Parts: sequence; C-alpha cells; structure tokens
Amino acid sequence: MSEINITVTVNGTKINANVKPEMNLLKFLRSQGFYDVKCGCEMGDCGTCTVIFNGSSVKSCITLAAQADGGTVWTNKGLGEVDELTQKLQKAFVEHGSIQCGFCTPGMIIAGKAYIEKGGKPDRNEIKKAISGNLCRCTGYKKIVDAIYDVAEQMSK
Amino acid sequence: MGKMKGAQIVGQVTARKDGVAKVTGQLPYASDINIPGMMYGVVLRSPYAHAEIVSIDTSEAEAMGAVCLTYEDINPILYNERSVSVPDATFRDRTVLPKKARHFGEPIAAVAAETEEEAYKAMKALKVEYKVLPAVFTAEEAMKPGAPQLYDKVYLGDKEVKIENNVAVIRNIEEGDVEEGFRQADLIVEETYKTQRTYHSQLETKGAVCKPEPDGGITIWATAQSIHANRQLIAQIYNIPLSKVNVKRTAIGGGFGGSIQVNTVTPICAGLALKARRPVKLISAREEDFYSHAKYPNIFHVKLGVTKDGIITAAHVKALVEIGAHHIQALAYLGCVSGWFASLYKYQSNIKFEGKAVYTNKVPACALQGYGNPDVNFAIESTIDIIAEKLNMDPIELRLKNYRGTGDEFWGQGPTIRSIIKSCGVEESLVKGRELFNWKERTKPSEKTGHIRRGIGVARGFHTSGTGGPKEGEVIDYSSDYIKINEDGSVDVVCPVVDHGGGTWDAITKIVADVLQVPLDMVEISPSDTRTTGYDVCTHATRGVFCGGGAAYFVAHKVKERLLEFAARIMLENPIDLDVMRDDELGQGVVYVKNFPEKRITIGKVAKTAQINSWGTIAYADSYRQKNCPPCFVAHFVEVEVNTKTGEISFPKVLIYGDCGTPVNPDLVEGQLIGAFNRGMGFAIYEDTLYEENEIGNLKCHGYMVDYKTPTSYEMPLAENIIVRLADTYEPTGPFGAKGMGEAAFSSVAAAISNAIYNAIGIRFTELPLTPEKVLKAIKEKGI
Repeated sequence: MSEINITVTVNGTKINANVKPEMNLLKFLRSQGFYDVKCGCEMGDCGTCTVIFNGSSVKSCITLAAQADGGTVWTNKGLGEVDELTQKLQKAFVEHGSIQCGFCTPGMIIAGKAYIEKGGKPDRNEIKKAISGNLCRCTGYKKIVDAIYDVAEQMSK
Repeated sequence: MGKMKGAQIVGQVTARKDGVAKVTGQLPYASDINIPGMMYGVVLRSPYAHAEIVSIDTSEAEAMGAVCLTYEDINPILYNERSVSVPDATFRDRTVLPKKARHFGEPIAAVAAETEEEAYKAMKALKVEYKVLPAVFTAEEAMKPGAPQLYDKVYLGDKEVKIENNVAVIRNIEEGDVEEGFRQADLIVEETYKTQRTYHSQLETKGAVCKPEPDGGITIWATAQSIHANRQLIAQIYNIPLSKVNVKRTAIGGGFGGSIQVNTVTPICAGLALKARRPVKLISAREEDFYSHAKYPNIFHVKLGVTKDGIITAAHVKALVEIGAHHIQALAYLGCVSGWFASLYKYQSNIKFEGKAVYTNKVPACALQGYGNPDVNFAIESTIDIIAEKLNMDPIELRLKNYRGTGDEFWGQGPTIRSIIKSCGVEESLVKGRELFNWKERTKPSEKTGHIRRGIGVARGFHTSGTGGPKEGEVIDYSSDYIKINEDGSVDVVCPVVDHGGGTWDAITKIVADVLQVPLDMVEISPSDTRTTGYDVCTHATRGVFCGGGAAYFVAHKVKERLLEFAARIMLENPIDLDVMRDDELGQGVVYVKNFPEKRITIGKVAKTAQINSWGTIAYADSYRQKNCPPCFVAHFVEVEVNTKTGEISFPKVLIYGDCGTPVNPDLVEGQLIGAFNRGMGFAIYEDTLYEENEIGNLKCHGYMVDYKTPTSYEMPLAENIIVRLADTYEPTGPFGAKGMGEAAFSSVAAAISNAIYNAIGIRFTELPLTPEKVLKAIKEKGI
C-alpha cells in the first residue's frame, strides 16, 4: 500500500512525514528521534511507550501514526521541558527512589500525570489502580506510588 | 574491609546519579543506539519443537536485497553462552545458528535489510526444509528409554561427553554421615515440591547493535550483564583479536539473570554486521524474547530428620531440573542449589544432595534472580513449617535453633566456594520481625471462619554476595577499576561493572567518595567499554556492591596513596602524617596534617600542582578479587487473604527484614526488597510459561505479557502496609561494612506466601504457582 503523508506536532514541533498505513505511533516517534518513548512489547501490554496524544494518555504502540495526523503528541521528555506537573513528577521519581532500570519510567511518569490531571487525589489505593496498566518489573511499584502521591498532594494544596 | 570512620556518604540516601537521565528517558539502552547506514536484522525462528534442518534457501530473500545468515556462514564453534565458570567446568553444546532446531522459537537463520519491514519480508521469504522430529517436554519423559534425544554428545571443557537419556549432567554431593543423622532423628519428614518455568519479563527485550570497523574489528552495544563476556565470546566465534572487539556498556532495562550469558541474538547480530560489512540493529520482539530464556524449573524431593527438641539432624535433597534445549551451565546451577540448601540450616553437617539436569525441547533455562535459591528455599522453608507443626513448636523457634549464622560455613557458589559467616542478621530479623508483625496473635488454621480467610506466614532466606571464596573455585570472580583524580579535585571512575538499576554505580561512587573524602557530586562513573576497562566477570550473584564496590574501594585506596605522596611533596611533610577529609564548605576534599589539621591543601590543588610540575596524574588501575562471599539475609513475614469462593489470594500486609551489612544506598536497598517481593508474588501465585506439548511446542501466551501474568501495582499491598526493616550488621570483609542484597530479597517470598496460605486455610501446597484454579480445587477437595 502507498504511504500516507502526515503532519504531527510532537513536543511543540511540527513534523511532516510519509508513513506506511500500518506504522504505529511508537515506531513513528522513535524513527523521528524521540527515544524517550520506549518499546517494551508493542502489543499494548506494558505501557512503556505511553505518550500524551491530543490531551489523553495513550499507548503509542497501539495507536497508528496515521491516526495522529493533524494531532498533538507530547512525550515525557518534551513535557519535562515545559510542563510543571511533569517536572514535579520527574523530580519526585528521583527523590523517592522510584527508578531502578528506568525503562518503564517515562511511560510511568505520563501515567502519573494523566492520573493527576484527571483530578486524581493523593490516595495511594487510587494511584495503584490508575497506574496498573503500566508494568514495572524492578521496583514493586511502592516508590512509584509514593512519588505520584507526593505530587498529587502538592497539586491539591 | 574499611572502618566506618569518615564514611559519611555511604549509608546516606542520595538522589541516584542517573536519575535525571532516566526520568527524562535520555539514558540510551542498546535499542536506542543508531548508526548512520545501519541495517535492521530479523531472526527466523523454528516453527517446531524439534526438527532437522534439511536445507535453507536464501535466494529469494537475497534477491530482495537482504543479507542472509545461516549455519553455513559461521565458524561452527561449540560454546556455552554463559562464561562465569572456569572453562573446565563449562559444558558446550551450541553454535550461533543450529543444524537442528531443539525448541520452538530457536533462531534458525537471520536477515538484514534497509528497514525493519523489508527485513521482516525477507525473513518470510527464506525457505527452510525441516524434517520434524518427535519432541519431549518434561524431564521425567525425557529420561525414559526411547524418548526423543536432543544430543548425542556435548563437551565439558575440551572433553567429549556422551549424552544418554537426555541427562545433561549429574551432580551429587555428600558430607557428614546422613544415615547416622537420620538414625538420630525422632521425626523424619519427606515431601516433593515443584517449581515452575518462569520468564524474566524484563521490560527491555534483548537486542544488540553491531558496527563492523575498518580494521576488521567490531563495536557492539548489547543488552548485557557483562560487557567482557560478550567481547570474549564474539572474539572467539568470529576469530577477531580481543583488542578489536569493543563492547560498549549501556543501560540495561532489567537483568534478573536473563543476560548473565551472552544473549542468543548478539552473536547473530554480529554475524549479520560482519557479513553485510555494515552496522546492524537487531532487537527482539517481545514474543521472541519469551523464546530466549526462562528460569530453571525444578522437582525437589526433600527429606529432613529432626529430634523432638527441634534439632535437625540430617537432610537429603534430590533435585530434578529440566533445562530446556541448551546447557546454560546446569553444572554450576546444581552446585549452587546444593549450596543454597546446605547453607540454610546446620543439619548437624549431615547433608546429601543428588542433582540431575535433563534436556527437553523447551526454551533454554538460565539463571533468574536467586539461581535456584527461591526454588529450593520454597521446598526447605515449607518443610520447616511442616516439621514445626508436627513438633508443636513455633516455626520461628525452630528456625532460630537451626539456622547457619556467624562462625558457620556458607557455600557461596556451590561446594567449591565456601566461606565463614562473619555478619548475620538472622536472629534480629526473626525476633524483631515477629514483634513488629504481632506474630503471637497468629491463630491456627482450624480457628478461621468465613470465606475470606487471613493467614500469616514466615520464611527466611539469603543469597551470597559474590562468588569469591578464600580459595578460588569453579566460578571466576574479580573486578577492575581505573580511578583518577582530576585537576579540580573531581574524580573519574572507569569500571566495567554493569548496573541493572539496583544502584551499583551509586554504591561505587559513594565508596570512592568516602575513601578519597570528596563530595559525592565530585565523583562520576565514566562511560566505559571493554577496551578501556579490565575484566569484571558479570553483575550477577549479588556481587555488584560487594565485589564491584570492593574493587573500587581497593583501587581508591591506591589512588589515595599517590595523592598523599604528591601532597607530601608540596606540603614538605611525610605521607604517613597526612590524611584526607571532606570540606563541605569548599566543596572539595582536602589533604591535612593529622596532628595539625589547620595545615591543609585541597585535593584539586594537589592534582593541579602535580600536573603543572609534570609529576603525573594521580591515578591507579588494578584488579581486585574478594576472598569471601558473605551471605546477605532476609526474612519475610506475609499476611494473605484467601478467598475460599474464588481461590484468589491477596496481600494485605508484608514485613521484609533485610540484612545487607551497611546499606550503601538505603532507599535503593529498600527498593530491591520491595521489587523482589513483587516478583516473588508472581513466582508464588501467578507466573508460569505453559507450552503446547505437541510437535510445535509453542508457548500458550504467544508472547503477550498480559497472558503471562505478572503482578501489577494493583495487586501489591497498600504502600503503607509494606514495611521494610534493615538489620544492624557490619560485614568486616565488605567495603565500609557492606554486603549484597539483590537476590536475597527474592529468596524466601514464595515460601512465606505458601506458609501464610497454609495458616489461612490449612492446605499445604507443594507446586508453584498457586493459581486460583489450583487453590480453589484444593479448597473444594478439603471441603472448606
């Protein structure tokens, strides 16, 4: 099948490219150099590739690049440069020791951001549920929950 | 090794140095490496569990412009992917690509093309003619006469070994007088336990990027727990001098033992790159990763004898281990398992171990956090609870009477690597742990009612810290460092040690910062590779802090000697009258006169003076071997809820008591303990790789992580109900009193969970995982 021309604004920069219809957003973003978007399974299972697409958090591996045409995508790194909430989360992840191998971290921070932006309260049980679509094999999640809780508490003040 | 004096940074919670790079996703993993002109590699994998490869036709794929790699292209060197054992104790049974497929998903051929899509299409165009053979999937079946044979012969070192009935290796160990020990027993308990084939499920799939160099060499970025192991194997296979094979250290997205050996895809990627004469990137898809490696599954028959006073008098363990299609060092594995079992209790030193490892047509089994320790721990710690109940004795009291502690012998890596325990937090963790967990309020299973039944259980475990003993054994263990003081007083540490994320690099920088008394932000771990570093065996066996940190401690002291020599020249003093101290106001380390501390000079000034006077750089490089392998201990107190209507198990509360000596990074130690509890939950109640046991022999999960259930945040206990405590111990042979923690953290989770389930419903489970179906079936059979 022929390629599709798409224009996507990623981290504030407009990108125009030809993509195969079957190309997913994850592969597209990585092909454009956004390596902070990690590929853990490419089946929608693990959440390492989570990004913000048109204001919602999505798993970029099960979103087609063509769907993003005319849309806006923010990755964790891009958000960290402009978005106060993401900056607070990134800082909290470092301070709370929420990182081990770091592979799930960018996606996990986006999951935390999505929780807080939807009005999520500093409630550990709710945070546990909210991030359960993002897998982490290293930490046992507690310190990730602690970091998101800390930021949710800061934001609720 | 070292005194606490001056150790102000070791033991403090500090922000991890790679934290910012990781939270912003800027730390490159192997899959993030891109080289101009790079091709993409894809592997063709076997569609059968067992099949001769009659022919491979690459013509169509080549006509599409792909570079193809088959058995024919590669020097048929037989090797073992794992190289931490000495060569004479290493079995060799595999080549880069095989002539015969021995498990579904085994790499058969590979292609490289301009894009991933083109490579995938070219792979699909490869035509392989197979002669399908009958396959075998369990150790018991594989040993039967007439069972399909995976191998006729393999090699142990240079010695040819004939394989009969698929038995890969037998290892028997006996000490003391087991028969006499059982004669002294008032009670003998025997039970059989089974542990399953779990998958590491690390979030980064295994991959490599290989770049051929103009001088005939190759540069490699690979998912690896040891850069030097990768270098040595690639050099051997492709007959390239080691000096021309450079393996770059990158971040790794989770280890868990799955990359101790050189990953199967790495030599394939190197072969493609060398043939194409272009860089090639080859990253496993998740489904492929499932077919790379798994944990050894085991069947243990345990027999323990005990007096009525609760003294265990003898122990006999038989282990039957199913290793899959290749031998990733089951010899070492059996040795280690015997050691984990033998070192848990004293058994009056009457110990017998009979281990047998058997090939099957499954994914090759390898280490997974603990290297059999969590498996045999489940068997022994379950049996200890059975004995306690039969003797009407508190299970903690029985453990306290029998554990191996200070002054006792510990087998750090099987029978050939032993040391004497010098630090031990077992008593503290059990005694204080039972108070914290209200152990005395624990009721008997018969006293529980309702359909949600709560139970609490305990188990204790340990792991070694490294694989060094007073005498060298069958496992290689040393590390190397190059440390230099820069002209502003900052410090570079060049080391080959890989950090899986547990904080090994932070530990090393803290140790160096304390030896040289410089602020932590003045010490950095340099990017490194195999060309710029001496050998380090591997980040495995919980050796990162104890051995990697131990070597850094040693080399930093050598650097300090040079520093004091140069400072003495400047200060017109004798070096023995000088020492270093950290000056936080100056943000520098200073050299001072011990009896006249006002006379001082900054380390930066010493280094700068040495440079402008052409005295040289204050630096030192050396290797160092730890001559001890102290156990790090752990105790798990777990509360479970069993839903007797569904068989589901939940975890309201856990107390994890760890003993790592001095905790170099206390928050990261806590992270290790909690993370391992999560994986232990998976091992205990969720995880298994189930196979279609037919001629295809594929995994039932088809590579979906949701169909290989691991515990998510949702199943974890509430954060406030995860309690972590560290025992107050000091390991005299460790850097600033530190020993390891990583694998110990995983060792007794499953046993504690199973013991808690017994306490809740009075049912003793002996086969993991304890899935709802299994639990519900048992509940119905018992009539609860």
